Formats: sequence, structure tokens, C-alpha cells
Amino acid sequence: MGIITLFYLLIIIIFLAIGAGIIFHLLRYKINRRVAGIMFIIYISGSLIFLVSNIIFFRSVNWNQIFSNF
Amino acid sequence: MYEEIHFPGQQKGEEILLLLRRHWFILFMRLFFVIISIIVLAAAYFLFGDLNSNFQESTFYNLLVFGESLAMLFLWNFFFILWIDYYLDVWIVTNERVINIEQKGFFNRNISELKLTKIQDVTSEINGFIPTVLNYGNICVQTASEVGRFTFYQIPNPNYVKNVIVKLQEKANAEEGRELGKTVRGEL
Repeated sequence: MGIITLFYLLIIIIFLAIGAGIIFHLLRYKINRRVAGIMFIIYISGSLIFLVSNIIFFRSVNWNQIFSNF
Repeated sequence: MYEEIHFPGQQKGEEILLLLRRHWFILFMRLFFVIISIIVLAAAYFLFGDLNSNFQESTFYNLLVFGESLAMLFLWNFFFILWIDYYLDVWIVTNERVINIEQKGFFNRNISELKLTKIQDVTSEINGFIPTVLNYGNICVQTASEVGRFTFYQIPNPNYVKNVIVKLQEKANAEEGRELGKTVRGEL
């Protein structure tokens, strides 16, 4: 269980690192401020929804039962 | 038309005449992998449900939903990486110069510029069936400077853009000639 949680945390950290890069590029190199602003809001909203739902799905998986089947 | 456009090194009073990005079809082709992946994820969800009628009650149902959600999380990031790469590759034609802003991945960004008076030759090319149908192609701007060649890749309506650049170059050269003439005559 602990290893799976750690592995999952690592995946989430990778996701957040890539997300930080995307946000940096959206806000730093804005050629059209309105387009960059709209895409920033879309990215942040979508990421939050996907991330929160993914954490809920991760917690709903019965990892002990899955690994005891193998 | 381009009041909201800002680019690094923009000078006061410099008027943006053209803002060019790659054709939308190029972005669509890059996003094709994302679209296919979403279809595969949806198909896998329904396929597992069809194969086993009790699948929704099994332990592996939650695992499948979690796996698909994780894949969607990274596809979301991948979509934005592709969009940023498309959005930040820009060619800008102003009344004074041509600016090429090229984004390669996250950590490589090239910005080069060319004065209109330095342009020697402009060529547009449309190669292939899809570019001909959708009217997109490359424009090569030949210069006398060290950079030598300036290429706009896969831009829409290349022949029109070429004509605009040629007209601007002729105008800039004529103005430069007039200024030079005034200087020679001692009017300045």
C-alpha cells in the first residue's frame, strides 16, 4: 500500500511539474493576452477537475484485494 | 486588428500588418494522437463492460476507471504542450521588419528579425496534395545578411503573404532611397 501511494505521489509530482511548465509558458510568453488568459483559466479548471477526480478514483481502488488476487 | 498582440522587442509606433501561425490542419494532425487516445480509452471502458456484465461490481472496475482517469490527466497536459508549441510559433510582419518567433519544446525559443530593406528575394511554395487543397505552404525570404534565409513554415495563404511582403519591401526600399537622396542633396 505504502509503495503504491509513494509511486502515485511521484506520478502526481511529474504531472504538476509539467503543469508548472505549461503555466509558465502561458503567462510568460503571452502574445495575445486575452487568448493566453482564457487558455490559462481553461487549463487550471480542467487540471483541478481531473486531479481531484483522479485522487478520488485512486482512493476508491481496493489495492489490497487487487494484489491478493495475483 | 492586432491591437492586443504583443511581442518581445516591439517598438513604439510599430504597426503589425500580419500575424502568422502554422495552418490549423498542422495543429489538428498533432492533436490526432490525443483524439485517438481518448477514443481508445472510451472504447476500453465500454469493451470491458460488454465482456463481463458484472464488471461494474468487480474490484477491477475501480482500477480501470482510475487508470483511465490517470491517462486523461496526462493527455490533458499533452494537449496543452502541443497547443503552446503551436501558439508560440509566430511570424510577425510589421511596417518595419519581419520577426520570427520559434518555440521548440519547453526550453528552446528562438527570436530573429529582419529589416524589410534587407530582403532580397521572397519565394512561396505549396508542395503536396493536402497543402494544395487547404492552401498552406512555406515562404522563404532570402536576405543579404549572415542569417541568409528566413523561412515561414506551413502558413495559410502563402501567395498572398508573399505579395504583401514584396510590396512592403518595395515601399521600404523606395523610402530608403528617398532618404538617401535627401542626405546626398544636403536637405537633411
